[in-house]
Amino acid sequence: MKKSIYIIAICIVASACSKSFLELTPRGTELEDNFYQNEEQVFQGLVAVYDVMQWGNSGGYTMKMPLLTTASDEAHAGGSDASDQPAWVAYDNFTLDPFRGPQYGLWQRNFTGVYRANLLLEKIELVKDKLDPTFLDRVSAEAKFLRAFFYFDLVRFFRNIPLITKSLAPSEMYNQEQVDPNLVYQLIEEDLKAAINVLPVSVPVEETGRLTKGAAQALFGKMLLFKMDNSRMAEAAAVLREVNTSSVYRLLDNYGDIFNPDNAFHTESILEISHTTLAGWGDWGWINGSDGNVAPQFIGPADYNGPTYSAGWGFCPISMDLVNAMQGDPRFEHTIIDGNALKLSGATYTERYQNTDYFIKKYAPVTAYRSTIGNVELNWPINEIEIRLADTYLLEAEALVRSGGDQSRANDLLNAVRNRVGLGDKVATIENIMEERHLELATEGHRFFDLVRTGMASTVLGPLGFLPNKHEILPIPQQEIDITKGVLKQNNY
Amino acid sequence: MKFASYLMSWWLLFMFAQTTFAQTRPPLQLQFVHQQTLEPLANVTILLNGQPAGSSDVNGAATINNIKEKDKLTFSHIGFELASWEADNRATYTVAMIPLPNQMEQVVVIGYGVQKKSNVTTAISSIKAEQLENMPVVRVENSLQGRISGVNITTSSGQPGAPATVRVRGITTIGNSNPLYIVDGVQIEGGIEFLNQADIASIEVMKDAAAASIYGARGANGVILVTTKRGVKGKTSVNYNGYQATQAPWKKLDLLNAREYATLVNEAYAASNQGLRFPDVASLGEGTDWQKEIFNDNAKMRNHELSLASGGEKSTYFTSFGYFQQDGIVATSNSQFERITLRFNSTHKISDRIEFGNNIGYTRIQSVGVGTNSEWGSPLNRAINIDPITPLVERDPAKYNMAPYNNPNIIKTPGGFPYGISGLVTSEILNPVAALQTNETINFSDKIVANAYIDAEILKGLKFRSSIGADLAFWGTETFLPVFYLNATNQRVRNQYTRESNRGLFWLWENTLSYQTTLNNHSFTVLAGTSAQKNKGLTQAGAVDNIPVTRLKDASLGFNVPRADRNFWGGEYLNTLSSLFGRFIYSYEDKYLLSATVRRDGSSRFGSNNKYGVFPSVSAGWILSRESFFESVTPIQFLKLRGSWAVAGNDRIADFQYLATVGSGRDYTFGMPSAIFTGVSPNRLSNPDLKWEETSQLNIGMDVQFLRHFNASIDWFHKKTSDMLLEIAVPAFVGNAGPIGNIATLENRGFEFELGYNQQIGEVQLSLNGNFSTIQNKITYLGDDKEFLPGQTYGPQGLDITRTQIGHAFGSFFGLRTDGIFQNQQEVDNYKDKDGNVIQPNAKPGDLRFVDLNGDGIIDNNDRTIIGNPTPKFTYGFTAQAKWKNFDLMVFGQGIQGNDVMNLIRRFDLPMANWTKHALNRWIGEGSTNEHPRMTISDPNKNYSQSSDFFLEDGSYFRIKTIQLGYQLPQSITRKAGIQKARVYVMANNLLTFTKYRGFDPEIGGDSFGVDRGIYPQPRAFFLGLNLGF
Repeated sequence: MKKSIYIIAICIVASACSKSFLELTPRGTELEDNFYQNEEQVFQGLVAVYDVMQWGNSGGYTMKMPLLTTASDEAHAGGSDASDQPAWVAYDNFTLDPFRGPQYGLWQRNFTGVYRANLLLEKIELVKDKLDPTFLDRVSAEAKFLRAFFYFDLVRFFRNIPLITKSLAPSEMYNQEQVDPNLVYQLIEEDLKAAINVLPVSVPVEETGRLTKGAAQALFGKMLLFKMDNSRMAEAAAVLREVNTSSVYRLLDNYGDIFNPDNAFHTESILEISHTTLAGWGDWGWINGSDGNVAPQFIGPADYNGPTYSAGWGFCPISMDLVNAMQGDPRFEHTIIDGNALKLSGATYTERYQNTDYFIKKYAPVTAYRSTIGNVELNWPINEIEIRLADTYLLEAEALVRSGGDQSRANDLLNAVRNRVGLGDKVATIENIMEERHLELATEGHRFFDLVRTGMASTVLGPLGFLPNKHEILPIPQQEIDITKGVLKQNNY
Repeated sequence: MKFASYLMSWWLLFMFAQTTFAQTRPPLQLQFVHQQTLEPLANVTILLNGQPAGSSDVNGAATINNIKEKDKLTFSHIGFELASWEADNRATYTVAMIPLPNQMEQVVVIGYGVQKKSNVTTAISSIKAEQLENMPVVRVENSLQGRISGVNITTSSGQPGAPATVRVRGITTIGNSNPLYIVDGVQIEGGIEFLNQADIASIEVMKDAAAASIYGARGANGVILVTTKRGVKGKTSVNYNGYQATQAPWKKLDLLNAREYATLVNEAYAASNQGLRFPDVASLGEGTDWQKEIFNDNAKMRNHELSLASGGEKSTYFTSFGYFQQDGIVATSNSQFERITLRFNSTHKISDRIEFGNNIGYTRIQSVGVGTNSEWGSPLNRAINIDPITPLVERDPAKYNMAPYNNPNIIKTPGGFPYGISGLVTSEILNPVAALQTNETINFSDKIVANAYIDAEILKGLKFRSSIGADLAFWGTETFLPVFYLNATNQRVRNQYTRESNRGLFWLWENTLSYQTTLNNHSFTVLAGTSAQKNKGLTQAGAVDNIPVTRLKDASLGFNVPRADRNFWGGEYLNTLSSLFGRFIYSYEDKYLLSATVRRDGSSRFGSNNKYGVFPSVSAGWILSRESFFESVTPIQFLKLRGSWAVAGNDRIADFQYLATVGSGRDYTFGMPSAIFTGVSPNRLSNPDLKWEETSQLNIGMDVQFLRHFNASIDWFHKKTSDMLLEIAVPAFVGNAGPIGNIATLENRGFEFELGYNQQIGEVQLSLNGNFSTIQNKITYLGDDKEFLPGQTYGPQGLDITRTQIGHAFGSFFGLRTDGIFQNQQEVDNYKDKDGNVIQPNAKPGDLRFVDLNGDGIIDNNDRTIIGNPTPKFTYGFTAQAKWKNFDLMVFGQGIQGNDVMNLIRRFDLPMANWTKHALNRWIGEGSTNEHPRMTISDPNKNYSQSSDFFLEDGSYFRIKTIQLGYQLPQSITRKAGIQKARVYVMANNLLTFTKYRGFDPEIGGDSFGVDRGIYPQPRAFFLGLNLGF
């Protein structure tokens, strides 16, 4: 009797709630409070900030190159029909509204980047006495560059945004108000200047793709030109001149080599977003995890069967405006795929929505780079060139002209770009420079913002539905206005 | 039995002899016994010519004075057939009362104990082994379908081994609504497909929260308790059950043949101002019947079960072996299920007071499967959508030497001809037969569920029980993707072999102390217990690319491929639960019943702010029929009213949600050659205050037996789930996903009715059982920021087709409303908003008229609304059984009513996809139809490219699920072979389905609930079976 009660007592005591039994720590994942303690972890935090640059899908497909090409007069939306990517169609024909358009994806992507950069900068503060200051300075400079990069997109796409420079406490999450865009530009400027001071001029080969001083300077110059503040054009010309005269950059001899995927990170590339097939990604539910580029899949001819290219989805058929503008230009063959010529050589493809039989060539899905692992669609190893030397040449030329600076240098810069493809000299007027940007940088995602910043948008895009003082910027996503209960105010939509 | 009738005749003879010599009339001596056990029966109510004349005493005896011949005596007792006797000249008479089947004296299993059914005060439905024996099913949950009110079982597909969606009293949470399965006291992780049906002694479904709340934080979705069989003392029996079956689809779709297809395509081209696509329609003939290529009209199924039950003075054993194998009716080579089960249960009396027992089951499952309900290229979806013009196999040399057939990786027949490739229907709609050869997947699982317990009676009525249980499982998949070319967008130039293995161990240790006593008319049962459980497991998986094999059977992770072609991944999981619980059951005179439970659970899934949850229940019952005022001979023999209220919880959430964790996979590429660098960032914002979801439920019910042969249960319930876990929405500018918080609420109300009838009429023993349930599900709150949660989507455009919206049922259908078809241009032009603008300017005659719900003059996404409900308004089922001599017949039917199915079997985003013959009723001119819009390739009115009620159909059905006819061979024959019982039967499953639904099968469960994307239908099967008992 006594013995059994004893046994029972043991059983009950042993199985009763012991606190440690319920206190478990997860495996395979770190707690935020314990992370960011050493160089490896801090660097992994930095990689997560870089990661956002390569996202192609964050609340809808928002790959900047095809999307901005669609928004400009260079291409139509395409796809299977108008309901395939309604956000692209809305940007293409300016039927944007607070619900429809690419705004949510762009908003979320760039603010995610801002959050990760802010968080990393805070975490660095916590370990700055423990870790190598040289290492931390460089990481910090990269994080600031990236924060500036994301804010530059936000201010270009939305103009009126909240300015967040730290990770938010729960009480602060719903009451962030939009700020004067100049405050955003000010932060971008401060961040880029800090980055310029620290970032290396070039990186060793195993670090290819990490940010450089030239990238920060180029972005700074591009930002000043986008602001179109004539009082600072000389400053813009000066900072771009540093890039354009840097020993690490040189125009490629052959225009066709610029977008040859074999030729990644060449001397003309200043800011390049890298992609790879290595992840062999297959998760359609989290496309951003792939590190591949999904844009080539979009722009390839649908169901294509023939040489050179792999089947795509038929988005962004080139507009006849661009085809006509480029007729006779030596860059045509490197910019535009002529579908009719392919058909003559025996290839077949499905003509999809808004078909023109002309397709984007610069990021086309070339069969030779088709992924052999994972989903082909998600794993195109084709990098995005965000800024290249021809762009900064033309930007410096423009800044020189606008600031009344050295006209002969402006001419030289313009003509370096023209001569490279065998075209004769022209005088660097604003008009000529913009025309050159149109053709030299066609379908690379610069045209829409060029039209907006120079005020040409209503003339060029008006026939497509563009309304001045409205479509320069996107609507603030309605979800964001709803969730903040109106703290965020809508743009002119 | 034999002995009983012998005894009876002896009694009668004896009494007759006694009474014939009586001269004066002494009082009549009555003796009541149980017909089977022959035990004396107390409290039998006696009526003499309709007037009360007392009742039997504790010894089953009664004395009736003033009796005359021809007086009419009636005897009644709860749970027994009414008996009557016309008095003759005998002075003593023995009445053998025949027990009613399905009676209230049955014992039902409640959590941590058993209770007489008559005294249960909560809503529990129960199924016993005898009811299961005649209804072979593969998965145990299917045996509940249509059998129990308040439990809705929807099979996810007809693929062998496919699980069913089990909902006890509706969808309890927007999260995981699956009930908790407890087998012999062990909580089961994963499904219960491991159980062999023949091993089951009973299944109890705890429907209301009061019944389930003894399981506390895990009980909110209902609890299904399975008890396996044991040996019986003093009896050894060997049983064999087996069957062979052949299965075929019960319905094929009427798809267009090549001529009809070409006609419609030509029409669609013409409507879009394009030339004829097929100039010579007549030459196309019938074309390819793709369904024929993919369906199997003679798919086999076989089952063998052998069991031995035995028991001596001290020990009992039950041991069994089962083998089950089923071929699928779709793509049989890729759709199969095989299961081997072994069981060993035993009990041992160590002393008068101590019993030891164990239950051990082992199950091995191997299966292969195909996509069952998906627009992304399941074999059936392909067979439905691919054009009938493309040949199965391309035998024309003029074609197969050209592109695309000249691709070296083309899939060929054994004869060397390439399988046809459609140039008309593209994307995922491949040649279904060719595509089957490009994905070999095997699923395997080994599972051991075991427990051991010790019962000790310390003092009379005071019992201690300690039980240890475990569920140890090893499972995984092997996949081989060969090199192939199926069409331009579906090809592979390097093969890949993947193997994923998982190991999970769940263990549970429970100790209970119970005390039972009766003081005068007060009866008490008190239970207190502790429970601790841990669930842990891991995954390890690897893949190799480019290995020198072409089939799965040759593939191995051992091939020495370069590092870059190897991949390895894995993970772990771990959670614990620690609990205290108690129960108090009280009854007074077995008339007034009261029960209360409380459980306190602590879970590792919650942070220190809310680690523990307390779940109380209270229930009460009143057996009116035992009151003296209840006239004993009324049509009602038993009547109990009961009510309960309780709170149960749901902890089925991911582990460590309350912690702020960082995760990798936020990678970026650096270097030349490029390399992926790991990026790490916080997974989401954290919420240390995370706590349990709670479901409170009020249940009012009644159990009644009337007119001797009928019994019924009626229940009404109202349950509210609150604090449902949902991501707390934060603005996107915060930059990370919001934390998981306790936010949403929903309600379910329902009414349940079960009716049974049992009677022996002459030589026919008849039993009828029916049930009926209604359920109303309503979302009541989703947080301040949300009106709805997105649900299922369809196709590459990701069309929203379901929504979980406040005021509506979970996962309701969502889309535009239509209002017929524009019959002429005038109708288009006259369809205007209040400002006189034409609402659908792009429409042409023959297009759908959409309702401009918000009245803004345009049709767009803002006009979408809730258009239907996939959950039935009511469900019902019935079983009819009859036995006559050696024959037995059983008919089981089951149905649902008032639900919608979204018929999306056609890939409308692919304009060249094939149609069913229903499309021949398309609009072809004014007045032709108001149902089906015109054919068009460009579809400017978006008839087909947006969700609308055009795609909704009535999903109600009634199904004769099972018909079985059995014949028991006469014992005179079987005895000679040493066989106690030999029964043969023929059976049909899914023989008839009555439905208006036009797709394959209106029963669509699983992840794609209520949305038909070309569901793998349930087979119609014919069985030949044998039951042997030795």
